[in-house]
Amino acid sequence: MGRYVVRRIIQAIPVILGATFLIYALVFLLPGDPIAALAGEKRQDPAVVAVLRDRYHLDDPFFVQYWDYLTGLFKGDFGEDYRGNQVVDVMQRAFPYTINLAFVALAIEMAVGVTAGVVAALRRGKFIDNVVLISTLMVISIPVFVIGFVLQLVIGVKLNTDYGIDFFPVSFNEEAGFRSYLLPGYVLASTSLAYVARLTRTSLIEVMRADYVRTAVAKGLSPLRVVVRHGLRNALIPIVTFLGMDLGGLMGGAVITEGIFNIPGVGHQLFQSVYLRERTIVVGIVSALVMVYLFANLVVDLLYAVLDPRIRYE
Amino acid sequence: MTDMTKPARDGAGPGPDAVQVIGGGRESLVPGTPLLEVDDLHIKFHTRDGVAKAVNGVSYSVAAGETLAVLGESGSGKSVTAQAIMGILDMPPGKITKGSIRFRGEDLLTMSPKARRAVRGRKIAMIFQDALSSLNPVLSVGYQLGEMFRVHQGAGRKEAKEKAVELMERVRIPAARQRVGDYPHQFSGGMRQRIMIAMALALEPDLIIADEPTTALDVTVQAQVMDLLAELQAEFNMGLILITHDLGVVADVADKIAVMYAGRIVETAPVHELYARPAHPYTKGLLNSIPRLDQKGQNLYAIQGLPPSLLRIPSGCAFNPRCDRVQDVCHTELPRLVPVLDAEGADLPGRRSACHFWKETLHG
Repeated sequence: MGRYVVRRIIQAIPVILGATFLIYALVFLLPGDPIAALAGEKRQDPAVVAVLRDRYHLDDPFFVQYWDYLTGLFKGDFGEDYRGNQVVDVMQRAFPYTINLAFVALAIEMAVGVTAGVVAALRRGKFIDNVVLISTLMVISIPVFVIGFVLQLVIGVKLNTDYGIDFFPVSFNEEAGFRSYLLPGYVLASTSLAYVARLTRTSLIEVMRADYVRTAVAKGLSPLRVVVRHGLRNALIPIVTFLGMDLGGLMGGAVITEGIFNIPGVGHQLFQSVYLRERTIVVGIVSALVMVYLFANLVVDLLYAVLDPRIRYE
Repeated sequence: MTDMTKPARDGAGPGPDAVQVIGGGRESLVPGTPLLEVDDLHIKFHTRDGVAKAVNGVSYSVAAGETLAVLGESGSGKSVTAQAIMGILDMPPGKITKGSIRFRGEDLLTMSPKARRAVRGRKIAMIFQDALSSLNPVLSVGYQLGEMFRVHQGAGRKEAKEKAVELMERVRIPAARQRVGDYPHQFSGGMRQRIMIAMALALEPDLIIADEPTTALDVTVQAQVMDLLAELQAEFNMGLILITHDLGVVADVADKIAVMYAGRIVETAPVHELYARPAHPYTKGLLNSIPRLDQKGQNLYAIQGLPPSLLRIPSGCAFNPRCDRVQDVCHTELPRLVPVLDAEGADLPGRRSACHFWKETLHG
């Protein structure tokens, strides 16, 4: 298995190179001048502009700039933005928020999604099954920003003003700590949660028809044990795949949610940086996200072998 | 019925204690003690195309130490009956519309689910056909065997593993201690079926139902597995229901045979009498279709036609479209399972046939 991991890490190198190149090129091609963006509407002193352009090598050809960036990256230097901040510092500030948010969302997906899927599978065709199917379909159909704003209004505002329940902060609030993540975490999780519920339902229905589940029943085991030990254990394999893939998406796809709830995380930072043509920050964050994605993929593949002993990596 | 089969449950009603008492201890298992009595069992399946009558009035009984072979083609209702006994019938679509299944005098069908679960696996165990798909692929065989002791006897993890090793040794799996942590796919077909047998034997049940236990195996391995099963049955004095379509498997181990066709028993007989003198044209056809060494070079006999659809079972005798002895009465009147008499008119013990012309079939 060790060799398998090493091989996967080696395979990841061209992916990371390709991703950084693409992002670097795309940001380079964006219209608009980053130095001009620094001053907004104000006029800039041509001498200052010239100094800045020289300092950031903006007049070098694209491949030279990319090469400089890449060699810096391999020395662990993510570069600095046009305000002189180290990109590493910017990322270190933003990532904890996003990681917290992503894991809260993942926990909600697992807890609510898997439970709803199991209940629906076991009560197949009954009322509760239809409730799960229809509600998940609705959640999948509604865009995240709608769900975000509606929940923000209903739970963040109305619950407080109309019922006096002040548990879920309207927007991110450092003092509220963990509570601040619950509402945005749910919004971020909502679509995936619906998919997890449906996937769990389908997978478990399939597994419960298997011969070994019949054997488990014939052994005189309790229904709970049959479902959890023999059914869910097998049904979990596709769900874990989905959740692992989704973790990467939760990290990078929180732009809207972070925007709605004013969370100073990576998504927020990324959006701002694209707007300000902060090339180094955009490329740095995206490269980091690509690595998170690849890492999550690797963990999922390794988890397969844990969940299903028939899978072995040579 | 003897006193031994009197319901053990008293006026206290069905409580957890009553569950313990059903069937009593192992020492009460004297050969000949009636264990299971299936009486006039009817099972229907509600399908999209209509109601399939899978089992239409099946009755049979098994005593301790006895082996009953239930013989029939696929779709004859032999497995469905077994599933009803185990309580693992899928309901819906299946539905038991009539009849009773008594285990040591207790009706399994009216029992509480909890009491039923205590019988399942502990008192009546089942061996399935395809051990690869019937064993959980993601749990080690040691875990799956040990689970019986952990759930039914409250054994600890270590004790359960120890007992799993013992079981594996009992069914003669080589290097049991090293292999207890292995997964089903790491065993050969024969070894997997041994593990299934070990699982069924775990709690020393009174009755084992083996549903085509050797169908998925090579011929040489088949014999080994059947020998093992017969040996263990004799050792524990268990009742055994052997469900099969293979006449060869039956001959060596069974005491009596029930032949099923389209959800009914068409003939019952002690095993050797059935082979010597069948009293139903269907049984006769089955026996004739066994390849024999002394008929080398001749065409194999085959019963013409196919088994009927359970959605549209022919009126009268269900076998009438395929029978070479068919008369008008076969189309109109359902033959009852009647005692078979010998040429002098004396009762042949254990022999019954559901054919209007059993006399002609038997003697002719």
